[in-house]
Amino acid sequence: MTDATTDPGTTPAGSPADAPTMRDLVATVPMRDLVADLRERLAVVRRGGSEAARAKHTGRGKLLVRDRVDRLLDPGSPFLELSPMAAYGMYGRDADDVNAVPSASIVTGIGRVNGRECVVIANDATVKGGTYYPMTVKKHLRAQTVAADNNLPCIALVDSGGAFLPMQDDVFPDREHFGRIFFNQANLSARGVPQIAAVMGSCTAGGAYVPAMSDETVIVKEQGTIFLGGPPLVKAATGEVVSAEDLGGGDVHARTSGVVDHLAEDDAHALAIVRSIVDTLPATSGYPQPGRRIEPGPVEDPHEPPESLYDVVPTDTRTPYDVREVIRRIVDGSRMHEFKKLYGETLVTCFAKIHGYDVGIIANNGILFSESALKGAHFIELCNQRGIPLVFLQNITGFMVGREYENRGIARDGAKLVTAVACSVVPKFTVVIGGSFGAGNYGMCGRAYDPRFLWMWPNARISVMGGEQAASVLATVRTDLETPAQVEAFKAPIREQYETQGSPYYSTARLWDDGVIDPADTRRVLGMGLAVAANAPVPDPSYGIFRM
Amino acid sequence: MISLTSLSGARRIDTVLVANRGEIALRVMRTARAMGLRTVAVHTAADKDAPHVRAADDSAEVSSYLAIEEIAEAAHHRGAQLVHPGYGFLSERAAFAREIEGTEPLALVGPSSGVMEAMGKKDAARDIAVAAGVPVVPSYDLDVDPGDFAYPVLVKAAAGGGGKGMRIVRSRTEYDAALAAARREALGAFGDDTILVEKYVERGRHIEVQVLADHHGNVVHLFERDCSTQRRHQKVLEEAPAPTVTDAQRELVTSSAVALCREVGYANAGTVEFLLDSDTGEVYFLEMNTRLQVEHPVTEEVVRVRGERIDLVELQLRVAAGQPLGFTQADVTLEGHAVEARIYAEDPYHGFLPQAGTAELVRWPAEPFGDPARRDGRVRVDAALESGQVVSSSFDPMLGKVIAWGEDREAAREALVDALDRTAVLGLTTNTGFVRELAAGAAFRDATIDTAWLDRAEIPAPDAEVALLTAAWVDAVLHSPRFSDRPGDPFATDGWRVAGEPARTLVALETPEGRRELRVDVPGHRVDDVFVQEHRLADHRAELSLDGRRETAYVNATARKVEVAHRGQRYGFERPDAFADHGPAAGDGTLVAPMPGTVLDVLVTPGQRVDEGETLGAMEAMKMELALTAPFAGTVTEVNVAAGEQVPLGAVLLVVEAEASDG
Repeated sequence: MTDATTDPGTTPAGSPADAPTMRDLVATVPMRDLVADLRERLAVVRRGGSEAARAKHTGRGKLLVRDRVDRLLDPGSPFLELSPMAAYGMYGRDADDVNAVPSASIVTGIGRVNGRECVVIANDATVKGGTYYPMTVKKHLRAQTVAADNNLPCIALVDSGGAFLPMQDDVFPDREHFGRIFFNQANLSARGVPQIAAVMGSCTAGGAYVPAMSDETVIVKEQGTIFLGGPPLVKAATGEVVSAEDLGGGDVHARTSGVVDHLAEDDAHALAIVRSIVDTLPATSGYPQPGRRIEPGPVEDPHEPPESLYDVVPTDTRTPYDVREVIRRIVDGSRMHEFKKLYGETLVTCFAKIHGYDVGIIANNGILFSESALKGAHFIELCNQRGIPLVFLQNITGFMVGREYENRGIARDGAKLVTAVACSVVPKFTVVIGGSFGAGNYGMCGRAYDPRFLWMWPNARISVMGGEQAASVLATVRTDLETPAQVEAFKAPIREQYETQGSPYYSTARLWDDGVIDPADTRRVLGMGLAVAANAPVPDPSYGIFRM
Repeated sequence: MISLTSLSGARRIDTVLVANRGEIALRVMRTARAMGLRTVAVHTAADKDAPHVRAADDSAEVSSYLAIEEIAEAAHHRGAQLVHPGYGFLSERAAFAREIEGTEPLALVGPSSGVMEAMGKKDAARDIAVAAGVPVVPSYDLDVDPGDFAYPVLVKAAAGGGGKGMRIVRSRTEYDAALAAARREALGAFGDDTILVEKYVERGRHIEVQVLADHHGNVVHLFERDCSTQRRHQKVLEEAPAPTVTDAQRELVTSSAVALCREVGYANAGTVEFLLDSDTGEVYFLEMNTRLQVEHPVTEEVVRVRGERIDLVELQLRVAAGQPLGFTQADVTLEGHAVEARIYAEDPYHGFLPQAGTAELVRWPAEPFGDPARRDGRVRVDAALESGQVVSSSFDPMLGKVIAWGEDREAAREALVDALDRTAVLGLTTNTGFVRELAAGAAFRDATIDTAWLDRAEIPAPDAEVALLTAAWVDAVLHSPRFSDRPGDPFATDGWRVAGEPARTLVALETPEGRRELRVDVPGHRVDDVFVQEHRLADHRAELSLDGRRETAYVNATARKVEVAHRGQRYGFERPDAFADHGPAAGDGTLVAPMPGTVLDVLVTPGQRVDEGETLGAMEAMKMELALTAPFAGTVTEVNVAAGEQVPLGAVLLVVEAEASDG
């Protein structure tokens, strides 16, 4: 093993060119403080819109969006909220206006309703009237993907003014824009995945199709409205003057138009009706699909408390640590059956259980070499053959580079790992527990490789390469930089850009992940992810060509 | 236990038929079994699985508990030598006694038919009492001019009981109507319209003496009971000894009772009732009950014969078997004080309406009919009600009795209050909470209650808040991971949120005052802002401290509702039902033709007031006749069609406007 694996920052001969220097990785803030910071940011985001907007909302007898979710779910049900910090730092007046559109004006996640996991998609009308920003659309579509991957009924709590008109070009026309929501609803319903909507406020224009495309719908009397064109648009188009209630209120749709199936007295009643609808659904969603079922066994807690993870990851990330210490703290009984322990040691592969579910864990313990990549590919094949879900613990600066490695064909071995990850049919879960750089992101099941869920720890960093390397690479292709001062002046903003964009909050704002989590919750969210994934069968595996 | 057979001389006695049901049947059987006797139950078809049938060695179905011949025949067929009638039903029916008399070896546990008949008629009983030198209420001859009566007077049926055919008349002007009404009622209820008119005692206490006589001329009294806490002559709380009688009064009532028994040739257990005029201290004979009383346990709890506890049923059986009492008055002493509360299936806070239903959960403060020697504390329970039992309205609404003993009255009273706090009947409403409040109240504590007090007093309904908080806490805890049937479930119901505070559990419950939503923070030990310490939660029993106040309650949480018994009072909190009728909004009273068709009939005119569901007309469509009904109570404001008219789909036929609601 080279020094590079223990301290890539020293950049010895043969160190990976796309590996960041330690400057990029140094996190001297203790994990506990990072977690406290995360909780603080989330608490602000969870308040939703401005105090005035919230007061106006509740003043109408409406419940705040997260209160709606709480009431919809079973008493005490956890809620695996997806990307609560979506749009964080985006759409603001300036760089400090990080909460301009909290949670991208939509709350999505998974909770239990009448004992079964459901995807909840709930607009927050206190945030810009619940209108759809680009990230709102992306978040709504992501929730639908979760529903599709895992056969989960979808419950939409609609309270939205439709597309955010100033950004219509980033919201309306493209394949993954607004229209896709209804495409997905139709196709999910076609697969037998229930689509339920409760209209608890505005539901205008394109938004009107959310209830209209649903299997069974509820509307709140004198609160919910559904119309393709609101009163102002009607007046502009035809001159007709009509009130919102007469145009598309609850009475109209429940008694006359038939757009909705149930008329509710208020929010609480609407949510009770939705719960009752869920109670009428068959025990499993989705028409029968071939494949193997994932079933949990008895559960055993790890031997260390979850908070001890804070102390496993060194405050100074240059200090190496054994990723097995992380694994031991998230698996049942702290027991792992390690596969190929002595081969390709920079990648740890093991079988274990999380909340009673069998898992195959792949965790970085240094830079990826050919052997590590081959070992990973082998292990993934095993898990696919056995129908065992995969958990990737990402902390990777990249694949080893240098003449020796290139000549021996590390690209070929890396491709095998990427092929195995890409073609894997078992549910995959990725947790970025450190760095996620370059092709390491691909081999370790980054967002592009469709893990069922991808979460980040608050210490995580993600970018194509380290800021210093990027700056150096860019500087070398410039011919006009003569003095070191000029080079430095050129490189500083690039480093700064990478620093900003590598942050987990930059990532989560853009839905590169499903959320930044408290490391102490890692086992819990993986367990929930596994329970969710168990709603869909595992098909038989097949792979693309492994370059031999 | 000495067998009755070995002491019975000529008569061989091994089987007793119990001609009753409910707690008294169990009470009799418990003693009979302890004496080594076989027991035979009788039951109606509906009662075939009732506790008293299960408790008996043998049983016989009868058409009714009043079927004299069938029951007597069952006793013969099942080889019984004794028939114990309990109380109520046939216990004071001379005809039943007559049916059994002379059919040896069968004998009734009770006095002869002749005594029953004499004592069953108030005028005859009164004459006997006078003859025995027992003080009686001054009465008026019906032939005398009612203008000469000293009002108020009591007009009552000679054959009566239980308040039927009884009227208080306060002035001459009311008299004739009251007399006529009492006659009608008496004739209807007892088939005898003989009426007595007596002085009416405004404020009196009900004092009764337990007597016991054998067939060998021995008569003893077992001291007195006070049953002044009554509602419309139905006893609620009873105690022994009487708390307000003087030694002289006690001597007077007990000696009078014994004299009456001797005068009439009484045998077996009986009760002589007196009215103690609170204003004058005078005592008047009221009537004699020729049977075991409901409230006999308070006597059993305080009376000692040569220092030993007694069992009145055992003594009854021995007397009926021909044995002598075996003790004299000098052997009888008192020890301590006992109070009994009767538990009725009735709702004291809604006009005492009888209640029926399934007793989903029943908790008594002691094992019913448990061995006195092994009894937990000072509490005795005589009851036949158990969890899951259906209480029908076709029998007496009394479900059982809770009896507490103490060294003195206050100790007994406190023990009773405590016992009632530990009494719970869920599924239907009982008076437990009400009697608990009575027993805990100052009027009972100070023994100032007269027999009419409860008919005047307003007992405020207890506060539901503790019950509601307990319901919310228990419901939330039952939904928490602690009670999960999926250990280790990653979706454990702890309200987990991504790097945030766990969600509180919302418990929504319907109360008489409207819907309440309580937020429960189980790990934070709070229901809304109330701090909750849980001391114990098991087997439907919750012991919590709410902001430091310790409370015990019994909880049954189901998918439909959460029921709580707190201080005996039952509270039923329904969960909101999404599909309950929320009632059509005002303005939805337009009746439109659901199909094209012909109007057959219109029954209303504009301006007419209609009730919800009332038929307003009818139409025929697609060969079906369709009633047009009022969606809610209100006034018909429009009638747009007439009979015979053809109407298209959606035609407005009638409009009803809702009555202004009170919000």
